[in-house]
Amino acid sequence: MKILIIGGGISGISAAKVALAKRHDVTILESQREPGGLMARIANCRVGFKTFFDEIREKKGLTVINDTSIERVERAGRGFSVGLDNGETLNVDRVIISAGLTPYDPVEYKGKRVVTSLEYDSIIDQRQGELPSDFHKVAFFLCVGSRSKEYPLCSSVCCSYTIREIKWTLQRAKPEITVFYNDLRFFGQEFFMERAFRDSGVRFVRANSRYFDEDEDGVTIRYFAGGGIKEERFNYAVLAIGLRPNPELKTLSSLFCFSLNEYGFVKEKSPLTTDAEGVFVSGGALEPMNIKDSILTGFGAGFLASRDIDAKDDMKHYENIIYREDPPDFDIPVADHKTYLFYLATDNPRYAYLYEYASSRFIDAARMMKMQKRNVYVVTRNMVTPSYGEMDYEQARREGIVFIHLEEDEQVFFDNGIFNIKGTGRDISILNPMVIRLDDYIEGLKDKEFLSLYRSEPQLRWSPTKWDRKRYHTGFIRHPRDKRWEERETLGAIGEIILNVAEERVLPQVNEERCSGCGSCKNSCPHEAIEIEFKQKQLAVFGPNLLTYIPVAHIKEDTCAGCGLCASTCPSDSISL
Amino acid sequence: MQRIDSNEINERVFELTGYRRQDFSVCLGCKICASVCTVNDLALNVNPQDILLSLFMGMEVDKGHPLLKYCTNCYQCTNACPWGIRIPEVIRAVRENQGIETLFERVFKGSIRIWGRVYEPYIFLKTGLFLAREGYLKYMPKWTEYMSFHLPKKVKIKTGS
Repeated sequence: MKILIIGGGISGISAAKVALAKRHDVTILESQREPGGLMARIANCRVGFKTFFDEIREKKGLTVINDTSIERVERAGRGFSVGLDNGETLNVDRVIISAGLTPYDPVEYKGKRVVTSLEYDSIIDQRQGELPSDFHKVAFFLCVGSRSKEYPLCSSVCCSYTIREIKWTLQRAKPEITVFYNDLRFFGQEFFMERAFRDSGVRFVRANSRYFDEDEDGVTIRYFAGGGIKEERFNYAVLAIGLRPNPELKTLSSLFCFSLNEYGFVKEKSPLTTDAEGVFVSGGALEPMNIKDSILTGFGAGFLASRDIDAKDDMKHYENIIYREDPPDFDIPVADHKTYLFYLATDNPRYAYLYEYASSRFIDAARMMKMQKRNVYVVTRNMVTPSYGEMDYEQARREGIVFIHLEEDEQVFFDNGIFNIKGTGRDISILNPMVIRLDDYIEGLKDKEFLSLYRSEPQLRWSPTKWDRKRYHTGFIRHPRDKRWEERETLGAIGEIILNVAEERVLPQVNEERCSGCGSCKNSCPHEAIEIEFKQKQLAVFGPNLLTYIPVAHIKEDTCAGCGLCASTCPSDSISL
Repeated sequence: MQRIDSNEINERVFELTGYRRQDFSVCLGCKICASVCTVNDLALNVNPQDILLSLFMGMEVDKGHPLLKYCTNCYQCTNACPWGIRIPEVIRAVRENQGIETLFERVFKGSIRIWGRVYEPYIFLKTGLFLAREGYLKYMPKWTEYMSFHLPKKVKIKTGS
């Protein structure tokens, strides 16, 4: 089958990978000079993209057409006949739309000292040479060009890439860094990074600003925090720009006859499928998403597009190794209180990954309570509602639920029926509320094996659902978040399984005669793929003690990555690759 | 500050604005409005979001709040606000509700009563003392800078460094 992928960004390449593993012909159309998309515009992600793309670059069946756009599309039978602007005509059976996202351009604020995060990225890029000489104070501003009347969605990546830019900055220099934020919407382990940076002196201020007084050697910024207006001078102000839908999606939607939603993203009929037959969608064309999710949806769309040729390749085939769990019920205590107060805060970064799940649950519950004509307050340190989740949050605000955003130094006290918020310049008390805290719900979720918590960022990025080769986590147990992700993740997991099956691995072999069971390989294995087994052995031909048990290293094939560390560690050379 | 039921009270304030309550309650709490507010040029430390929050919580807005006294309805906050919340409308409504009339409003009305139009010399005469006392005049250079922005290039006045 011939599959056409529109857009050579990271999700397009991921989809191509799965389709190639199923031995289909894949054509990637890229509008720029070479594949890469938004990911390759970030200096530190370029290498990752290149490595990922190099794995399939030479593969048989892959064609990449750069610098091109589509002129006309006709339906030919069950497939499409696609005319390109260089006069070529392609006949394809399936199409995957991975046109990606377009970064917002804040022309009204930009200048020499007020830069967007993409421009800042090239300032701190090592290949661009030395850093500027005055690089002592840098401020980051989140939520520029998103979460507004004009574009109400949250871009869901700005916080994450800001924390990475801080990391890359601190690797090269030690400027004073201040982050001005509305909410810190991190993913999984990024909350630990936030804590580490806080401890190392990065300042976080819960306020935003649009007062940029820029001149030749710096920018003066005014912001309101701690009950007063502050004026501060910075060398650079970095605007963390939001991501908007690609304007090309409009053209594509009229060519391929699929529909868009009111924000300009592709409307899903079922997960990763548009309402036009044979047209699938992945990555940033769906909603603003990070690289991990782009790869995940790319795998899913790649699987969907290459499906139904061999009948045995059905979803049931994979069901026994895809592991999912239903989220626990969220019960709100019913009481006669006139006032309900939801307190959404945790100081422990270990549980901060639950913010996303808890935010949407709390919003649902708060809206239900509001419908019963009660006074509802949500006191929050961090409201995590990325991309479409922001719509529910907006609706809740419109319905009259009062959100009180705690500043960094503000503390809450609850005694004698009075909920008290105290900080410099603010003292709010709420009388006799029914208080519902995040902490009450953490207990039940403590012991769950969330994939996003046990895997580091790169691991989650390149193998988005794999726990080990016999178990792939999807839905709630992968990362607790909105329901719409569960089906997408299941499709992505199938794509990942297809890739893992097709992958050629070299597994180490243990020479059991020579192995003394010392356990040094077990200690050295980074994937915990080696265990020491006790094998039965015959000791003597006659006599009372016929049998004994000797320790022998055993390699678990499901978890082994074939790195070869055990072979090099083994003191008696009994492991070979 | 007195706590009352947040559902009924302050409805009148929102009614007076001419907009729906939800047009204001979309506030994200980002405090961008405070960063651009021109009242903060006077170092008064006001946060327009305070007023919104106390209205949503069903509290009486403090009569002595500097914004009620000094807000000039310049709409800088509305311009910068991601949601375009019309804070000056709220402030005018609160003033109306609490029966507060600023000196400027009084003088403008007086001018219109006498001449049928805004007569600047009269206004300067009436408000000069207030401007001098409240420390407005030290911003005179800045204002001329603002004003000269609209003048043709040749006439532009150079101020400050």
